[in-house]
Amino acid sequence: MSRVVVLGAGIAGHTAAAFARSWLGRGHDVTVVSPRPDYNWVPSNIWVGVGLMKPAHVTFPLAPVYERAGIEFVQAAAREIHPEGDQDGTAPYVTAESADGRTLKVPYEFLINATGPALRFDKTEGLGPEGGHSLSVCLPQHAANAAAALAEEVERMKKGERRRFLVGVGHGTCTCEGAAFEYIVNLEFELRHRGVRDRAEITWITNEYELGDFGMGGMHLKRAGYVTPSSIFNASLFAERGIDWITRAHVSKVEPGRVLYETLDGNEGEQEFDFAMLLPPFSGVGLKAFGRDGAEITEKLFMPNEFMRVDADYTAKPYEQWRAADWPRTYQSPYYENIFAAGIAFAPPHAISVPHKSPNGTVIAPAPPRTGMPSAMIAKAVAHSVVDMIGGAKAPTHTASMADMGAACVASAGANPLTGTAASMTVYPIVPDFERYPDYGRDQDRTFGEIGLAGHWIKILLHHLFLYKARLRPGWRRIPE
Amino acid sequence: MDAEKANYITKPTRFTVFLRTFLPWQLWRFAAINLKMIEIIRRSHRSESKK
Repeated sequence: MSRVVVLGAGIAGHTAAAFARSWLGRGHDVTVVSPRPDYNWVPSNIWVGVGLMKPAHVTFPLAPVYERAGIEFVQAAAREIHPEGDQDGTAPYVTAESADGRTLKVPYEFLINATGPALRFDKTEGLGPEGGHSLSVCLPQHAANAAAALAEEVERMKKGERRRFLVGVGHGTCTCEGAAFEYIVNLEFELRHRGVRDRAEITWITNEYELGDFGMGGMHLKRAGYVTPSSIFNASLFAERGIDWITRAHVSKVEPGRVLYETLDGNEGEQEFDFAMLLPPFSGVGLKAFGRDGAEITEKLFMPNEFMRVDADYTAKPYEQWRAADWPRTYQSPYYENIFAAGIAFAPPHAISVPHKSPNGTVIAPAPPRTGMPSAMIAKAVAHSVVDMIGGAKAPTHTASMADMGAACVASAGANPLTGTAASMTVYPIVPDFERYPDYGRDQDRTFGEIGLAGHWIKILLHHLFLYKARLRPGWRRIPE
Repeated sequence: MDAEKANYITKPTRFTVFLRTFLPWQLWRFAAINLKMIEIIRRSHRSESKK
């Protein structure tokens, strides 16, 4: 009998656990270790953040779902990995800390690290909703607090006040610009809908070199006889909606009502606000690893950014030498064949966007995103490999490289069944491959984007479909990732 | 946004904006976009493959 332990119950962890349970016989155990009791469909948090949904609409309790599926659920935060066991024995295990402070020891035969990101508000002074001066939509409660703050701003504008909104990213190395983009256009839509748009000044602040980069180097779309970069479409949407923007910016400090930032040309600026929603940079969750003798081997398993090393090429090299083949395929640890990472927890070999530094040495470039679709596909491939290895395979049997897979993405731009819109996009592959597609790195016939009401309908459909799937309702396996 | 900055940005025509929420056109686009996405999903699932 084998025990598969999955750390984390986000999109990647939940997917890996569900498929592993589904494919493994009852003679084997699947255990999920996660600090939060609920599953969160993160892509819909932006609608909580503008007050269109409540946290309960984007979350559900995991325990009953796992009980029905036959998955053991340990509600605790993973702290340490002991891949070689300890002086009492060679059986590998993880330790986890429960909410009441108890340290739990969870043994495993196979470990899937899907812990997702740590939200590093601490990287920028004054950033974040907990002790800082900005809001966030990363967690359902953060988003609910942002919605409450927005409602207050709307009330003030209804009384005739002008208010300044600042949305974007709160550090030069942030990722998830797409989520912040969704938030700013939904915010603008809601202010119009509530009849106060003319009293709002809305500004986008981003670490992207150009608008529409989204941490994946932007994309090029064939349209009306031209191949047009996504920066044109993004700028067009902002101009159409009267949203101003600051690009190539590293937010260095958030004060009450004001952010200070440095731009790529070395200049410093400041922007005043009454309402700021700024996403934090990410890192790994800070898992530690120890050898059998008790010596710390964290640097062996993890990169300095605390994400897990897998089968990627981590050789430091200049942008010109980056290759699609640098990206991992099996997500297996290079040192322990029974350890894998999935979703945001794996360390990318490098960024996707072109790296940039200011004259002061400040890195101002987006980190690579790992959105829902690739995270789930990676998790499914990892679960498949683990199940096959339990069945006797000597090595991982399935691959899911972000340089081989595409992504379909729908970015909400206003939620209303008749007047809402969303940008529907596909890219193929996610990581540009300039050896296969020399001009733009991507297949131009499979990379497209358009904005319209149909996109909003698709976004609503996906919200319900993926929550249905995550609840492991009948037929969930037939819904693609 | 100041007028000079806005002057250098591509903007949609009124007809393009109208089409974005024009129901018959959007019903067609709903089908077309879904087909495009299904093709990408199928292709990506093929890449999630055995070594």
